[in-house]
Amino acid sequence: MDQQAIVSLILILLTFALYIGISIYNRAKATSDFYVASRGIPPFWNGMAIGGDWMSAASFIGMAGTVMILGYDGLAYIMGWTGGYLLLTFLLAPQLRKYGRFTVPEFIGDRFDSNPARLIAAIATIIISFTYIIGQLSGSGVVIGRILNLPASTGVMIGVVVIAIYATLGGMKGVTWTQVAQYMILITAYIIPIVFLSLQITGNPLPWLTYGNIVNELGAIDQELGLSEYFAPFDESNRAQFLALLFTLMVGTAALPHVIVRFYTVTTMKAARWSGAWALLFIALLYLSAPAYAAFSRFVIMTEVVGSPIDDLPAWTEPWLNTGLLQIADTDGDGVLSWEDLVIHQDIVVMATPEIANLGMFVVGLIAAGAMAAALSTAGGLLITISSSFAHDIYYRLLKPDATDSKRLLAGRIAIVLATVAAGVVALDPPGVITQIIAWAFALAGGTFFPVLFLGVWWKRMNRQGAIAGMLGGLTVTLTYIFMSMAGITLFGIQDTGAGLFGVTANLVLCIIVSLMTPPPEQRLQDEAVDLRYPEQMTYKDGEVWINDEQAK
Amino acid sequence: MRKIDKKKADQYFKIRTTLIVVFLAIGFLVSFGVAAFADVILETGATIMGMPAHYYMGAQGAVATFVILLFLNAVISDRIDKKFGIDEKQNVKLSGGGADH
Repeated sequence: MDQQAIVSLILILLTFALYIGISIYNRAKATSDFYVASRGIPPFWNGMAIGGDWMSAASFIGMAGTVMILGYDGLAYIMGWTGGYLLLTFLLAPQLRKYGRFTVPEFIGDRFDSNPARLIAAIATIIISFTYIIGQLSGSGVVIGRILNLPASTGVMIGVVVIAIYATLGGMKGVTWTQVAQYMILITAYIIPIVFLSLQITGNPLPWLTYGNIVNELGAIDQELGLSEYFAPFDESNRAQFLALLFTLMVGTAALPHVIVRFYTVTTMKAARWSGAWALLFIALLYLSAPAYAAFSRFVIMTEVVGSPIDDLPAWTEPWLNTGLLQIADTDGDGVLSWEDLVIHQDIVVMATPEIANLGMFVVGLIAAGAMAAALSTAGGLLITISSSFAHDIYYRLLKPDATDSKRLLAGRIAIVLATVAAGVVALDPPGVITQIIAWAFALAGGTFFPVLFLGVWWKRMNRQGAIAGMLGGLTVTLTYIFMSMAGITLFGIQDTGAGLFGVTANLVLCIIVSLMTPPPEQRLQDEAVDLRYPEQMTYKDGEVWINDEQAK
Repeated sequence: MRKIDKKKADQYFKIRTTLIVVFLAIGFLVSFGVAAFADVILETGATIMGMPAHYYMGAQGAVATFVILLFLNAVISDRIDKKFGIDEKQNVKLSGGGADH
């Protein structure tokens, strides 16, 4: 084990100890601790926890690389994954919080008073979260494997054990505070390298202000080399695909059950609005940094790596060549490394750039700890979501409504352990490219849930038949389009990653048409929907609005 | 509990909804609106912060606008609540802890 491995390992172990310590300190004692952290998390901290929950291995490891390789076309991820919080905070989160349930399937089941709808929603939640968690476990496997020079599969197993320990112990309450710690670690780890890179390249420590000129210079370098310019739009795709991907990511973000459930942990509608604002601010810190990371990384490679003799490559290339994520082939046979000779996998950009730029062992180790924090925090949130769908929606609400609190807690913990082990087994041999699987999870979440939640909150006439038709129809259309486009049949040049556009549209149309063709829901359910228009203090009943201003004690 | 005029409650809902529609329209323009015409904007040669304007909007402009919109929404909604005499302490008490279900 070399010195770099030891430094990275110590940093990772220190952070692991911190996470487990936090979850022991915040051990869950009751069901509401376990699922919604007793609804007492202040908006600022909840926003930070959402940031940790949200930013996964894909954001931390993958995004800057995607922007670096794709140029402008990669920015669909930046806008899509932040824009979703607008839809979520404006259209869904406060109302869902006022409705006051534990999970997304529970909202759908109770709002439409339908157990079939609840079951469909619970199963869809488990499928979406499970797909997503495979990506996280594979991501942490890559990091551990690279650092310890272990096979990635051993890395996966280590990740599985750590996650299972602290998610089972702490439940939502423990996960919330570990996510806060994980956010702080991952954002520090992400920003330190780009501050150094910015100093090194431009002499100014504020990367967000300086990388504009680098982007322009990259365009000039590309032009000189005869490549299409870095910032040229729709170079790697087309306009329709860009917009469809942007739409899929935005709507999918707003409909991911593990993100929505974080808004159940605050006290009121007002707190949900502030949570959304803080969350996006914390998320934006990383998302505004990723294009800077990408620009600096490409600039360093273009100016310092490209042009060097191919039989005398820098030392950093060797371990990456061994992983197979970096490939070098002298395509034109001139013995000099050119841009076309490099095949860089997008997932190595964030981890390799500090090595390329010689930022030192501590920074490289910090990046590794940050990447682990990103993967673990998201996995923790996903496990709670899978566990609650199973133990709360299926076991308690459908099978055993008379289960005691301690039985439900036990069921939740068993579900977490089972889900972790199952996801770990699948992640040992992932069924496809990680970023692609995650893109499917967004298309599925948007296509299954967004229209149903949106209309369920805003349209009192929406009924259970509409909800069931919408969820099943949206799911079917999304899956069909994914398989169709994988087989080469596409509409308007939109690829599988933009499938959400069709799924969401089909779901919305089905919800409306089927609801209108079937009898309206009972007055009680319509009143509940109208009640969501007003803050907690106002209650809607029989066409009248009541305000409760008896003195708070 | 006391009854209030339904019109007043509807007014509350109308103001909040208008706010949401306006904010979402702005958010839509800076993301989808700019992206749909990215090639046209590139041809104009406009730059923001030293980089081509369409690239800036995708990398920073849209995200910064989203953050500002969410904070404006939180602040303005608090003012609306206050104007309609909503007491947040009462909301907290009514929404209860985890024992509400």
